[in-house]
Amino acid sequence: MRAPRHSRLVGYLAGYAMDAKLAFRVWQRELTLYRRIWPSTILSTLFDPILYLLAMGFGVGAYITDQIEGVSYLQFIAPGLVAASVMYAAAYEAAWNSYVRIFHERSYEAMMTTPANLEDVVAGEVMWGATRSLIYSIVMLGVLAGFGLVRSPWALLIPLVSFLGGSMFMILGLSYTVRMRHMDQITFLFTLGVTPMFLFSGVFFPIAGLPAWVQTVAWASPLYHLVETVRALAFGTIDIAVLGHLAWMAGLTLLLWGLPALVLRRRLRG
Amino acid sequence: MPSPAVLAQGLVKRFGALEAVKGVDFEVPRGRVFGFLGPNGAGKTTTMRMVYGLSPRTAGRLEVLGMDVDARGREIRARLGVVPQESNLDADMTARENLIVFGRFFDVTGARLRDRVDEMLAYVQLTEKAHERVNELSGGMKRRLHIARALLNDPELLILDEPTTGLDPQSRSLLWEQIREMRRAGKTVILTTHYMDEAEKLSDDLLVMDEGRIIERGTPKVLIERHVGREALELTMERSEDARLISRLAPMHAERVGDELRLFGDDGDKLLEDVHRAGVSPREHRVRRATLEDVFLKLTGRRLND
Repeated sequence: MRAPRHSRLVGYLAGYAMDAKLAFRVWQRELTLYRRIWPSTILSTLFDPILYLLAMGFGVGAYITDQIEGVSYLQFIAPGLVAASVMYAAAYEAAWNSYVRIFHERSYEAMMTTPANLEDVVAGEVMWGATRSLIYSIVMLGVLAGFGLVRSPWALLIPLVSFLGGSMFMILGLSYTVRMRHMDQITFLFTLGVTPMFLFSGVFFPIAGLPAWVQTVAWASPLYHLVETVRALAFGTIDIAVLGHLAWMAGLTLLLWGLPALVLRRRLRG
Repeated sequence: MPSPAVLAQGLVKRFGALEAVKGVDFEVPRGRVFGFLGPNGAGKTTTMRMVYGLSPRTAGRLEVLGMDVDARGREIRARLGVVPQESNLDADMTARENLIVFGRFFDVTGARLRDRVDEMLAYVQLTEKAHERVNELSGGMKRRLHIARALLNDPELLILDEPTTGLDPQSRSLLWEQIREMRRAGKTVILTTHYMDEAEKLSDDLLVMDEGRIIERGTPKVLIERHVGREALELTMERSEDARLISRLAPMHAERVGDELRLFGDDGDKLLEDVHRAGVSPREHRVRRATLEDVFLKLTGRRLND
């Protein structure tokens, strides 16, 4: 390339130079597709957290008579499961859907024959993944409210926070997906990324009481920050730590924003 | 004078150690159908992808509609239509939704967009299939939908990358007619193909690529007359007389294909007389028009689909 030494940095920075209107067109395109498929995808993605709520909350919870952080076990895990459904929504979108769009249907290339650049397409797709996360969090909140598990008006802010969390998981997922060579590699995203986060980010047990090193590991987990934020909003226990979690998620999202476009630009050049 | 539709000078594309396009120069004038010919791997598609801005060039100058491709990609693509080699329609959407979604990228919305979409669906004869999903359309219909999508923004330059590969004869001739119509409407059309008859019938100008270089250029007629002459004489006969016949008749070009010897020149009947005069009597003979396929075989030593 003409500027080999700087091309990576330039390519990464180019990922931030998106056109909001064209990114919106990308988002609109996904919405058109979604209108056809939403009933089946909402159900399949929400089954998981709801089954966990029933099995862990009502099943295991029946044996846990102590209160955790001042609430029952069922109440404790409910907000965590909302956060987990946000992660699952974005991860499925970034893994399956994006992989098919990029490498099988080649719809990124199709959009790039219009005035849209790659960074607009990526931005639109991330916003779309975040929108799906927001939709799922609303449905999950509805389910939890039905069980009487939402206790604070602050909970109304959970969909907004889910949008931020969804953006973060979408960027993380896409950063992996754009490197994939084969569809089987999606498995690793879930077994090495999504599942460990689901189990060790404070959804099922509080991190605070564990040894310091475990807390450090948990702090590195993106889901941990979303779980803590959603739980604080659900219980109305807002403090300065919540701002820290929000900043952590926004910071990671911004830091990785240019990455998928950087990798993908080289792969689509052929 | 308006700038040419495409101007390339010393255009190079390297993928690591592989040089796919090795410094080509060409100019596509406006308002014509311009054919890029060449076997698979010749560098046609890579050149097209550079022209519509998907693949950045390694070196050289490349301007489309008078604008540098790197610097003004968005503006160029707003005035461009592309039909890629492999379908990239949205398989889960209906034909109509595909066009609606795509048209919005050109900042056309609402009733204006819907009218334009319906107009284009009618143009490619897909009105009745408007609400069917792309998955359920035939290959020919998908290609037509691609054409409609590429024409949505009323582009000045249309790039068709092997538009008829794999199409049935009816869809093919419908597409040919549409290409002629686009030229009548004053649009510039760039066409890559490995069908010689297609290139010959449609292109005003063409260039032949092989192994990343341009090996010949001109109108189909000029290329045929320059390399093989207007007619071909096909003789079914033994190989043993080939050398004697060729040295005595000195045709513009000769080639042996199986049990057939082909002699080329401007006058096939005259060639046949000379064959008889040389005392050779082939089992069968046939005079036909020389084609671009003959030129291509002579230039590259290969058939295009090899």
